[in-house]
Amino acid sequence: MNYRTLNFEKIGETLYEYEHGSGLKVFFVKKPGYNKKTAMFGTNYGSIDNTFKVQGSDKEIVVPDGIAHFLEHKLFEQEDGNMLDKFSKLGASPNAYTSFNQTVYYFSCTDLFEENFSMLLDYVQNPWLTDENVEKEKGIIAQEIRMYEDNPNWREFFNLLDCLYVNHPVKLDIAGTIESISKITKELLYDCYHTFYTPSNMVVVVVGDLIPEDVFSIVENMIKFKDRGKVEKKYPEEPAHLNKEYNEQKLVVSMPLFYLGVKDNVRVSGFELLKRRTALSIVLNDILGRSSELYNKLYNDGLINDTFRFEVSLDKAYGFVACGGQSPDPKKTAQVISGALNEAAVKGISEEAFSRILKAYQGMYVRNFNSVDNIARELTDAYFNDASYFDLGHVYEKLDISYTNKVISEVLSNQTALSVINPQ
Amino acid sequence: MGSLAGKTMVEKLTEKQGIQFYRLKSDKFNTTRVDIFFVDDLEKERASGNAILPSILKRGCGKYPSITELERKLEELYGADVGGGTLKKGEAHLIGFRMSHISDRYTFNNTRLFDECCNLLMCILESPLTEDNGFKKSVFTKERDNLINYIRSRINNKIHFSLYRCIEEMCHGEPFAIPEEGTEEDALLLTPQNTFAQYKEMIQSYPAYVYISGEVDDTSIQNFIDNFLKAGRGDIKSIKTPDVKKEISEVKRVEEGMEVNQGKLCLGFRTQIDPCSPDYYPLVVYNGILGGDTHSKLFQNVREKASLAYYAQSVLEKYKGLMIVMSGIEAENRQKAEEIILKQVEDMRKGNITKDEIDATKKSLETGMKAMQDSQGAIVDFFLSQHLTNCADDFESTAEKFRQVTIDDVVRVAQNIQLDAVYFLKPKNFKEGIA
Repeated sequence: MNYRTLNFEKIGETLYEYEHGSGLKVFFVKKPGYNKKTAMFGTNYGSIDNTFKVQGSDKEIVVPDGIAHFLEHKLFEQEDGNMLDKFSKLGASPNAYTSFNQTVYYFSCTDLFEENFSMLLDYVQNPWLTDENVEKEKGIIAQEIRMYEDNPNWREFFNLLDCLYVNHPVKLDIAGTIESISKITKELLYDCYHTFYTPSNMVVVVVGDLIPEDVFSIVENMIKFKDRGKVEKKYPEEPAHLNKEYNEQKLVVSMPLFYLGVKDNVRVSGFELLKRRTALSIVLNDILGRSSELYNKLYNDGLINDTFRFEVSLDKAYGFVACGGQSPDPKKTAQVISGALNEAAVKGISEEAFSRILKAYQGMYVRNFNSVDNIARELTDAYFNDASYFDLGHVYEKLDISYTNKVISEVLSNQTALSVINPQ
Repeated sequence: MGSLAGKTMVEKLTEKQGIQFYRLKSDKFNTTRVDIFFVDDLEKERASGNAILPSILKRGCGKYPSITELERKLEELYGADVGGGTLKKGEAHLIGFRMSHISDRYTFNNTRLFDECCNLLMCILESPLTEDNGFKKSVFTKERDNLINYIRSRINNKIHFSLYRCIEEMCHGEPFAIPEEGTEEDALLLTPQNTFAQYKEMIQSYPAYVYISGEVDDTSIQNFIDNFLKAGRGDIKSIKTPDVKKEISEVKRVEEGMEVNQGKLCLGFRTQIDPCSPDYYPLVVYNGILGGDTHSKLFQNVREKASLAYYAQSVLEKYKGLMIVMSGIEAENRQKAEEIILKQVEDMRKGNITKDEIDATKKSLETGMKAMQDSQGAIVDFFLSQHLTNCADDFESTAEKFRQVTIDDVVRVAQNIQLDAVYFLKPKNFKEGIA
């Protein structure tokens, strides 16, 4: 069996890579001593992929919002019963998630890995949709949507994306709306499935105390589907400017919540994406992290509390940085933060802060390898951005201050948008 | 990989002045950590005072008198973590402090991190910022404001809020009804001086548990133990055990309106079972079959068959013998959902349990017991729970007790499980028949 072995001595980890004849890539990380084994089978298809050419035809279609997530729910259903039950019988816990750019099916188990893994590989290749089971799911997903409608953090997040993006589908709620899912049919679901669930658009990731040959030979035996060719995705042209500067919604909350964001208009992928993501994280940490002067000032002034956080969300198809939390005065707080971001775009980061924070990120990278699930998720996410999670170690070596300052000036000089949730 | 692979062991190192020190042995993690738990009784007058302590202490200490200085030091130590928080387990109120860092072998020059990180941990624990016989006033005031805001913001998360309200109503008059952060009214009574006095009580008299895990040499551990709260222990407080028995004369029903889209239904049950008693193990299996996982009766009937909900589950509160069933539903389906839920509970009582259901639950518990040992935090929590309840079982013997549970055992414990309270968070302005 032909596979590659890559050793990463500094972090004491080994990665095994294998390519199945169909074009499906498989990654395995061995974790000696760990009881838990996690396997993921994912497709590079998420909520943003709502306009595409159906495989085998020339027609371009626009599908209802929330359909990728709907399909995720439906794949668990098989002609001879629900997959959730079958995994349960073997003591495994199965689940799945849909994000902006991926749908991932996974399970974790401690025993009977081969049986569970075979089942995962099998059911994802074999959807079983009926008019009746599609209808039934609408009630369940409607309640999932209703639950998120009452979740202030979820709402402030999507209200911010609505400010940042004019056209890009990243602004659409992943689960869609009750209205949009009502238009989903068995036929549309099959169109999506046949377009995006094809070996070259997918990945398998396994982490645990297993033998690489065993993992790869199960894949060899279980993968039956043939590649249907390259997926043609299409995203609308997104202007550099904001859709709007401000969004506000009233919900039952104790004090206002805010989320402030800046769009990154530069699109990169692969190693460059990991580098850019890390540079932005270090910079935001320097400006807004708990170790920053600004965090302490805002905290002491009572404008933020320890719900304050920041994120860097960078993908092949979109990118933004954001921060927020509870605040008695969101507009004033946002003004101070915007000022600090714009100022940093000109001033850059100091040598001292850069090396101190870089060291902290290296530590966090090491910590991540304590968790079988984290490793699997990070590997999958990096792969769908044409990168390898293990390259992050090299990013920490390659990243320098002049590159970081270039990224700061490209991103943080952009206009900020603000989303506020006010108490009713 | 040594002989320890996959096995997790605990060794009691020593006990001095009401502090028990344990070494958790597992050689697979990249991090070293120390967890400290001080234990108090959960009481209305003391809860806010206990809850505010970690927030004040995290604000800085003698050598690092601000968050900025403390956090910058932690970043230099490869993103080490020093923190704290509060939690309740039954009617015990726990104040926890922790430190963790990456193992020395992952640093650039084999930097020794343990001693330095422990110094930081002990700095926040032993050298808080003080003035006038109390905590530093500016720090105290800010943290009291934050505590009150936190108490008020319980309402933000509707799932947690409804669970909290259900327990508050069900356990009215019992210490368990007191939330871990206390109440706004009690938080307002705190002053820099009385809070500092409570801090001294914690340091001097609360019983404590300390867990050390990950790669660290014996000399460093010995030094840490020798110096731990060297100056300050006195008489040790004795902690009450909660009463899990309660007679129920009438089911309490509470309904509250709120401007929300989805209704939240919570049903609170008494199991009458003590943690670590022989019936505890069948109870955990009972809970798994009823609402623990996707194979459970609640998931299958409320979600999969009736399409009424996205989530429908049951959770146990081990230390107080409670079980809460939770589901998010449309207001118009409230009656129907409650009927389906109670029908499942009734089926459990009648013994309508299939072999598949119990087998899947037991397998999932076995997986859970093994998977827990892949997380340093979960290992600490498991042994803390065992020590708090005087339960001698380790992972292996606990798993064995789950394996031995039969359907008859489950049906036996089912007979004593009684509905005590029903709480419904009802969408306001809801009208029957709205689409």
